[in-house]
Amino acid sequence: MDLFNAAINSLLSLWVAAFSWAPPVLGLSLISGLVGIGMLWVFRKTSNQQGMKAIKRKVYAALLELRVFADEPSVTWRAQKSLFAANFRYMGLALRPALVMVAPVALLLIHMEAFYGRAPLPVGREAVVTMSTTGPLDADLKSPASVTVETPPVRVVDEHQISWRIRPVAAGTAQLQFMVAGHSVSKTIAAGAGQRFVPGRAVSGALSAIWDPDEKRIPSASVEWIDVRYPEAWIEVFGLHLNWLLWFLLISMVAALLLKKRFGVVM
Amino acid sequence: MSVPAPLLFLSGLRSLRGRSSFHTFHHLASPGPGPYFSPRLAPCLRVSASLFLFLLLTLLLAGCSHHTTQAAGKRLIVLGVDGMDPVFLEAHWSSLPNLNRLRTEGDFRRLGTTIPPQSPVAWSTVTTGMDPGGHGIYDFVHRNPATRLPMQSMTEITEATTSFSIGPYVIPLAGGGIRQTRAGRAFWQILAEHGIAANVVRMPANFPPAECEAESLAGMGTPDLTGTNGTFLFFTDDPSETRTTVPAGKIVAVKVPNGRAVLPIEGPANSLRKDHATTIVDLVVHPDPVNPAARFDLGDQQFVLKPGEWSDWLHADFHLIAFKGAAGIFRVYLQQVHPYLRVYVSPVNIDPENPALPISTPAGYSRGLSRELGLFYTQGIAEETAAYRAGLLSRAEFLEQSHKILADSLRMFHYQLQRFREGLLFYYFSSVDQNAHMLWAKHDDELLEIYKGVDTAIGEAMRAAGHGTTLLVMSDHGFARFDRSVHLNRFLMEEGFLTLDNPDNLGDDEAFVHVDWARTQAYALGLNGIYLNLDGRESGGIVSGFDKQTVLDAIAKKLLTFQDPVTGANVVDKVYFSETAFQGKNLKYAPDILVGFRRGYRASWQTALGAVPKLPLADNTDAWIGDHCMASDEVPGVLLSNRKINAAGPQLADITATILNEFGLPKAAGMIGQSVF
Repeated sequence: MDLFNAAINSLLSLWVAAFSWAPPVLGLSLISGLVGIGMLWVFRKTSNQQGMKAIKRKVYAALLELRVFADEPSVTWRAQKSLFAANFRYMGLALRPALVMVAPVALLLIHMEAFYGRAPLPVGREAVVTMSTTGPLDADLKSPASVTVETPPVRVVDEHQISWRIRPVAAGTAQLQFMVAGHSVSKTIAAGAGQRFVPGRAVSGALSAIWDPDEKRIPSASVEWIDVRYPEAWIEVFGLHLNWLLWFLLISMVAALLLKKRFGVVM
Repeated sequence: MSVPAPLLFLSGLRSLRGRSSFHTFHHLASPGPGPYFSPRLAPCLRVSASLFLFLLLTLLLAGCSHHTTQAAGKRLIVLGVDGMDPVFLEAHWSSLPNLNRLRTEGDFRRLGTTIPPQSPVAWSTVTTGMDPGGHGIYDFVHRNPATRLPMQSMTEITEATTSFSIGPYVIPLAGGGIRQTRAGRAFWQILAEHGIAANVVRMPANFPPAECEAESLAGMGTPDLTGTNGTFLFFTDDPSETRTTVPAGKIVAVKVPNGRAVLPIEGPANSLRKDHATTIVDLVVHPDPVNPAARFDLGDQQFVLKPGEWSDWLHADFHLIAFKGAAGIFRVYLQQVHPYLRVYVSPVNIDPENPALPISTPAGYSRGLSRELGLFYTQGIAEETAAYRAGLLSRAEFLEQSHKILADSLRMFHYQLQRFREGLLFYYFSSVDQNAHMLWAKHDDELLEIYKGVDTAIGEAMRAAGHGTTLLVMSDHGFARFDRSVHLNRFLMEEGFLTLDNPDNLGDDEAFVHVDWARTQAYALGLNGIYLNLDGRESGGIVSGFDKQTVLDAIAKKLLTFQDPVTGANVVDKVYFSETAFQGKNLKYAPDILVGFRRGYRASWQTALGAVPKLPLADNTDAWIGDHCMASDEVPGVLLSNRKINAAGPQLADITATILNEFGLPKAAGMIGQSVF
């Protein structure tokens, strides 16, 4: 899992680096467009295109019936039923491509969050770092020179967590070192400004690493996860601050809709 | 925006082309059938007509644009420093280099204040140029003649007139709202009407802000989200703390089982529910079992504090109904973790990013400020004097919070000054006043630090003003010691003007609960006011209109001979009758008598809310040691300018006239001042 996550993160790092000269919205828009095209291709390959064509014809026919025979309740009722059934069948046909696409797209989105969804800690701004443990509530935090630890550990007994307040004093990426039950574990921290890879929660479990894929798994069974609270990043589009996911969905859908005829896809 | 006269003239001519008058000229000037004018006369006539039109329009436009021409490019900066005292200034010129330079290069005067010298009254006069008889604000609190109970003087809240109910909810359809009670037009409304840019930041007694195109942010009088002037919360598991309420605050006992305590933060009463249930968000605190630190969780917001630390601003959304909440912001101060948890939570301020009540004009102005500067205090009086007075915050803690507010204010002032291009910039500082109340004459060094903070702002304003911009620095009143509390209702009782249902019921019970109104001629409410129990005005009043002046004279005589048994000094310096003291006649809420106390004396807190304690006078043992609600002559404010001031005895109302005069505008109806230049 670590290898897979590292590979995806490396590819995305390359992509972001290639567009580092431009505002983040450019790289995001391009990747969103490519994903839209990719989804279109997958849709064509995995869906029953003939069946979809037939269903769409039935939908049109039912709509026409509704319009033409608006004053005939029995026909209208039959058309409504037909419309409903066609829609249901359409969703059934769309299920297969959706199932094929959901896993890779979800994985991609989870990885993209570290590049577009989180902003690095501003230098001088405090943040909370929290460790969730399964063992005793006892840990030490050693910070690099670029980060100050401002408080003693706060042991949150009922949630089995330990929190510290930290404050980056210089921009860059550094490692927070924790000593837990005789083991040393680390967590990457990103500080500064601008778009960059900002790793979220570091986890120890293999399953958890699917949802939190930004760092290598923590090699200690007594640590469940370590998290730094980062500010949310925004994509600026025409002066508006948007969540990156919203822009991603918009661009990928627009790309798919615009190119569906060119790809000969019935949707 | 003003348009140059020649351009207006041209556009006027263009518009005339399509009108009958132009066709008439054209017809008259054209060769052909016209019997009265020869063709050779036509060009002359056209030129004459054009010249005549030009002259006429130029004269007209010159008249119309007189004010905007005079105001074009004009800049005026007015800094309102609440409570800046002339005597304190004179004693500390050497420590206040910018103020000192301003008075030596420009001018300095004492500035006569209003009767009574209270901030809402004084700033309403600055706003409108009227005395209290004009703008109708006489105190922080007025009394409802029907009930004789205190009510807010600056705002009025009305319930919806039409609504419908769904289950526990009631949805307002029409009517209801909040409005400012001050009469008269604000000077920035007049400026805006004449196209003069104005930015009025934190003007007191301006909530909700006066409607106009000018930029304005409401100041003192702006409530917290719960609708009060500021109600803090204090949470502790200390068993020795047995109080549950203190003035302007609540003390809440908490338990910390398993290292976790839930602190319910109170928001506004939900006016969309029939039961008006108080809205609440839960702030969860996790104190470390041993270490002096705690983690706080509020929704997805999380922070760690050590004892003696303040949090940043926290956002809270108080749920009202589906998809509808009231946005608030507050700060947390962790005073202590062990042996007992002690957490102070500031009043929940209206969120300037998403204000639940109007706090600025245009409505989006506060949002813009917040985006540029970050969140800021929107509560009118943000200094935490109440928790200090209750002994919950130490003086050092109070001062730390005060300096945070001053730093916030200086940051916003710096921003406003940088974007100031033309017209008027008015900026208000609350810090001197609020700190003087707590530090006056006993902690001068600490108060001087606050003055120094304001002095830096004045230096910045002087640099921005240069030689081409008029700069005025003014205060609404000065300060004096507050050593002795005067229980005016007890005084009235001793002199036979007020009677209790039972003489044993003397005490701190408020709202006149034990007063026998059938045998009471006068009662005191607020910080300077005495009201007659007047027949036809007060419900069940007993003083007839015929006896009114006799009773007033009798009370005044007793007040002027009222002596402090401890010092032998007179308690009252001056007595003013509202009917004769003011030029304006907006006397609906005016006290019949305004008491001008000698320096050192002030109406007690109990008097302000209608209590009748056991003695007429008592030592002031409160942490609130400085005040100004005395005789107006005793507590003048200050006026400084980078220009020579001609007025020998300027008054607050003169500031309004000066501002308008600077932009070439005449005084509005009811304004009583004169320009000081």
